[in-house]
Amino acid sequence: MLRLCEWLEQIPWIVTITNSAVLISLVWLVHYIGFFLLVGSTAVVDLRVLGAAARNQKLAPLAGLLFPFAWTGLGLVIASGFVMFAGQATTFYPTAVFQIKMGMVLLALLFGVIVQRKLPVWDRAPSVPAAAKWLAFVSLVLWIGTILAGLEVPAFIPGI
Amino acid sequence: MHTWLVAICDRLQNIRLVVWLVTAQYAYPFIQWTHFTGLSLWLGTTLALDFRLLGAGKRFQTAAELSDALFSWNWLGLGIAVLGGFTLFATAAVGYIDNPAFRLKLGVLSPLALAWHIFVQRKSRIWGRTPETPAVAKLAGLMEIVLWVSVATAAVWIPNY
Repeated sequence: MLRLCEWLEQIPWIVTITNSAVLISLVWLVHYIGFFLLVGSTAVVDLRVLGAAARNQKLAPLAGLLFPFAWTGLGLVIASGFVMFAGQATTFYPTAVFQIKMGMVLLALLFGVIVQRKLPVWDRAPSVPAAAKWLAFVSLVLWIGTILAGLEVPAFIPGI
Repeated sequence: MHTWLVAICDRLQNIRLVVWLVTAQYAYPFIQWTHFTGLSLWLGTTLALDFRLLGAGKRFQTAAELSDALFSWNWLGLGIAVLGGFTLFATAAVGYIDNPAFRLKLGVLSPLALAWHIFVQRKSRIWGRTPETPAVAKLAGLMEIVLWVSVATAAVWIPNY
């Protein structure tokens, strides 16, 4: 795995982007906008399931509008995150906080997919089931936790 | 004016709590976290309305309904973002007020984007009565997306000075 990381770090276009202040700032910008879309949209759907937001809307139409933004955000986050990771892969890969963050992202995605698939069923029920509220709550906590974990990464790796 | 501003920033930066936030090893990311969590809510809900005005997700709800549904969490998001942002500013206030990217962000782009947001949000009640939005609504939504992306661009440029 470390050899793969070394190879990633030496890809010419990755080196060019990593060493250019303008290009790497653009990559960060895409990463930020991507997770604003991803976390913002997912959080509103989770809050709606919890009964705390958008109560004038049925679940399915709200999610129908917001989930495509979440998936678009995810695409932006993955593309930019890959470039950010590849540029310093050998530093990131062995760091515990980075691994925790990626683990949280995968868990959050899993919960996100469950919520998305179950929504039509919950929407037909007379009231949102308690299990649904728990799922939405865990999803919300995981996404907000992912932001914190992501921000802690540079704090644990001096010089990034 | 500038000396006076520097003096205020200097005092802000030396508040005991602020000094602690800077020196405690893993505390700083918590302030960034507040800012970014607020921004996710603020921009997630703001951009959703802008894209709806542009014509996304027509079959789900009108822009007026969406604006109404997102209103409280939209502004709560801004409140959290401002709280985090102000604390971030306080940790290095003297440096920030002379940073050109920060000045552009806070002095020009953010007020402009915020004013435009209020305008768009208010107008969306009229523009968004029917599933199809008028051309002026599309233009206004697009303008707002451009404005917030400019704010974010200025923000990521701050550390380069």
